[in-house]
Amino acid sequence: MSDTAVRVSDAVKTYGEGEAAVTALRGVTADFAAGRFTAIMGPSGSGKSTLLHCMAGLDSLNSGTVHLGETELGSLSDKDLTILRRDQVGFVFQAFNLVSTLSAQDNILLPLAIAGEKPDQEWYDEVIEAVGLGDRLTHRPSELSGGQQQRVAAARALVTRPKIVFADEPSGNLDSRSGAELLDFMRHAVDNFGQTIVMVTHDPFAASHADRVIFLDDGHIVSELHDPSAEEILDMMKTLGD
Amino acid sequence: MLKVALSGLRTNKVRLALTSIAIIIGVAFVAGSFVLTDTISARFDALLGDISAGTDVYVRGMDPDFGNDFGQLIVSMPEETLDDVLEVDGVAAAEATVDGIAQVIGTDGEPLGGQGPPTLATSWVANEQLSSLRIKEGNGRAPEGPGEVVLDVGTAESAGFTVGDEIGIVFNGPVETYRLVGLASFGDEDNLAGATLAVFDIRESQRALDLEGRISSIAVAAAPDVTADELVARIDPVLPDMAMAITVADANAEQSEEISQALGFLTIGLLAFAAIAVFVGAFIISNTFRIIIAQRTRELALLRAIGATGSQVTRMVVVEALIIALVSSAIGVIIGIGLAVMLQVFLRSIGFGLPEGPLTVLPRTIIVGMLVGVIVTVVSSILPARKAARIPPVAAMSEVLSTPTRKSLRTRAIWGLAILAVGVVSLGVGLFLSVSNAIWFVAIGALTVFIGVSILAPLFAGPITSVLGWPLPKLFGVPGTLAKQNTQRQPRRTASTASALMIGVALVVFVAIFGASIKTSVASALGDVFGADLTISSSNFATGVSPRFTEELRAAPEIGEVSALGFTQAKVEDEVYTVTAIEPATISGLIAVGVSDEDLADMAASDGLLISVAEPDYESWIGRTVPVEMPNGVTAPGTIVGTFDVENFGAFFITRERYATGFETVSDSLVVARAADGVSVADAQAAAIEVATPYPSLEVQTTSEVLADAEMQIDQLLAIFSALLGLAIIIAVLGITNTLALSIIERTREIGLLRAIGMVRRQVRRMIRWEAVIIAVFGAILGIGTGILLGWAVVRSLADQGLETFTVPFGQLFVYIVIAAVAGVIAAIYPARRAAKLNILEAISYE
Repeated sequence: MSDTAVRVSDAVKTYGEGEAAVTALRGVTADFAAGRFTAIMGPSGSGKSTLLHCMAGLDSLNSGTVHLGETELGSLSDKDLTILRRDQVGFVFQAFNLVSTLSAQDNILLPLAIAGEKPDQEWYDEVIEAVGLGDRLTHRPSELSGGQQQRVAAARALVTRPKIVFADEPSGNLDSRSGAELLDFMRHAVDNFGQTIVMVTHDPFAASHADRVIFLDDGHIVSELHDPSAEEILDMMKTLGD
Repeated sequence: MLKVALSGLRTNKVRLALTSIAIIIGVAFVAGSFVLTDTISARFDALLGDISAGTDVYVRGMDPDFGNDFGQLIVSMPEETLDDVLEVDGVAAAEATVDGIAQVIGTDGEPLGGQGPPTLATSWVANEQLSSLRIKEGNGRAPEGPGEVVLDVGTAESAGFTVGDEIGIVFNGPVETYRLVGLASFGDEDNLAGATLAVFDIRESQRALDLEGRISSIAVAAAPDVTADELVARIDPVLPDMAMAITVADANAEQSEEISQALGFLTIGLLAFAAIAVFVGAFIISNTFRIIIAQRTRELALLRAIGATGSQVTRMVVVEALIIALVSSAIGVIIGIGLAVMLQVFLRSIGFGLPEGPLTVLPRTIIVGMLVGVIVTVVSSILPARKAARIPPVAAMSEVLSTPTRKSLRTRAIWGLAILAVGVVSLGVGLFLSVSNAIWFVAIGALTVFIGVSILAPLFAGPITSVLGWPLPKLFGVPGTLAKQNTQRQPRRTASTASALMIGVALVVFVAIFGASIKTSVASALGDVFGADLTISSSNFATGVSPRFTEELRAAPEIGEVSALGFTQAKVEDEVYTVTAIEPATISGLIAVGVSDEDLADMAASDGLLISVAEPDYESWIGRTVPVEMPNGVTAPGTIVGTFDVENFGAFFITRERYATGFETVSDSLVVARAADGVSVADAQAAAIEVATPYPSLEVQTTSEVLADAEMQIDQLLAIFSALLGLAIIIAVLGITNTLALSIIERTREIGLLRAIGMVRRQVRRMIRWEAVIIAVFGAILGIGTGILLGWAVVRSLADQGLETFTVPFGQLFVYIVIAAVAGVIAAIYPARRAAKLNILEAISYE
């Protein structure tokens, strides 16, 4: 499990122009190992979300490179990037993850349907089993609780067997119990399915589910921890002076 | 609150711009029709005043009881009348004219004009004070004897004639040749409303028009101390029966009135389209406000939370509507003035020349235009505004963005059916009961039916869009599935967007059904009535067919029976009727007029009359002998010997002989003929065309050509109507664009999500496009259903007027559905592009 899923080199990202310009990433270099659960932490404005968006092909860098597996993202057209996201990347956002007119099951199968592909039934069953939604699969998102909605989103992220799943504050809108259920499911996916997950969060408890935590501040990687506890993470956060 | 309203307008700029297009188009039609008709009457009034400046009284040969619907009804008086008039005390000057119909032959050998404006012949008035004509400077001189003619400048220019040319002119016989000696103008105008005018010396005019010893009118100038009214009173006693004196002011007023009546169809047509545009616009405005308010729920709730009252929120929305209304109505009025200019150019291009002059924009035009725009917009915004007032303050804090407060389906169904029923009843009253103002019952009924259907439409929106969208998931995968489901998200919105389209489609379908039914009925009526092989008519209705031609045709060996018909008016026992002159000996077999051979024989023997069985109490007339007065005053008794049973031939049949006594110059309206035994129709037609060669205005048609001609005319009329109604459809398509653009803003986050998890732009566009197609086709289906209902009702109501067949042109209706689908694709272009271009990161974090 020492393959690299994503490699970021000298990533620089600036928003706006002239005096109003804001630099979000000031030369970030990092490898994200396959089959591992990595959390990115940092105070607001540290560039953690920007880094995630650039790695996921949702945003582009001003300089530097992102390699997803062997593919360099900067050279791809919008269409190729979209297809790459569809086939090789899974997403879990903080909220509004689901298409409200589709049932939970259709939402889970959505990336495959967009690609016009049939699901691998065995894998689908396994994901459904793990996500634990049982009889609620035919329900519309509005009929599900927030935690259930996020788990549907996570199942959708897994269903294409992506190279990597990006999660942006996935438990940010959930109560602690629902949040724990979601994070346990993500942990399960890494341990049992060998899934690679990169998650942005500011919640030390969420980050403690990860194998490795990277700390960002003012566009630089300032530190990292391996298999940390929530307390260790909290201590580290304090030193960053959020 | 005004500040908040203004900021609301600013942030919704694009959407409101689309809305205002609907108002602008409606107001433009209202203003345009006023400006056009005001301008035309103002210019004609000025021109008429101008050319009659030196004249005070006209004497003309006309019995005021007879209308002037047919050109033949100009009657003449003996020329001695002029001497009598000159002797009247107070007459300073008087000069006679001899008027009639003449067609100038163009350089291509075809007669000029004839189908629209009149082709007039008159005599030159030497007294400049009394003459309405002047030789245009440097363009020759007045006509001075046989073989000389003056044309109006406009006609000569458009035909390409110059002074000195030899030109052909047709009166009631073969072509005669004249030298063009001068060009005349009316005051500053080169032409009078598209009419062609040929002017001769008075003796030549009498000869050419077969009016030897007769005159048509007298222009009189009063002595300085006599008023026109006094002069009329003094002249009248010296006039023969068939002549009357009238002041120039009254004559001009009469002319103006005639012109406005002739323009009436145009005004009514334009205002009807304005009404349709405004009505469709009202749907779109209401829909737009509803959606914008749904999107601003949180903001409005916040206003409520910090202390705004419900009525303040309502007022804010209405003020927004008012501002849009004022701006777009003003734009509409300006565009309407431009529209009037364009229509003027169009009228010129189809031969209705208008006098030159400034545009007349009356304050009434601006006031009515603004009022229409403002009232429609504000009224359409009131329901959404009141809904806005009902947003609870707590909605500011709640998670759910828009809580659709759906009325219960049952309430909606009851209301919708009730309103629909009111509309149907109103339609029925207007169509089937003989009430005054029936047209209003029909119009309001149709309008109410539209409203009823649009209220019911959300009930069908779900099922119909399911059916329409059924193949989409299979064909287009996820974009297809989502397109289908998006149309069902807000059935109300889908339905009201489709309803706007429904109105235009329903009207187009109605016109198509009406047209198809008329065509079928005309075909069967003509087929039943016309036993003749050939029909000869004049392309100039006023000149008719010369009896000389008819005699020559009878002599042709390829031709069998020939029968002439004349349509005119006659006063039968004190009342003026439309009558048809027939030749009883030859008509049977050529035209099925529903008369027994016995009655025809009686008619021929006694110079009798036949009465239509459609006349009330026709039986009481039979056997009576009544005085019959022809338009020129010739009166002779006639006995009503029997009946006829055919439509569109007036109230009475008179004999051709009696008809001939009514005119100095006799011409027939129509001549029908059969091929001689053993001669094919084609050979007979060729022979008749040969006979008609010296008469360029005559057309020889076979019965099937007559039919094709009639159908073509119906088709042309329908095409014009459909094109204008197409405007309503264009407005509705803008409505679809508007709704989609607004829906996309609501779904920004969802579209961002779809893009993030791998939907390519093309798939996004496809999703929006198919949503639009479903809405459009749904609207077309509603429209076709409503249109068939309207068509059926109107066609049925006209059953007793000869419209016997109800025909639904299914092929055409299918084409309309395809057109609607294409319209949907077009409507989706802009919203689909916007959706596909959304920045994913901004979209997924959109509030």
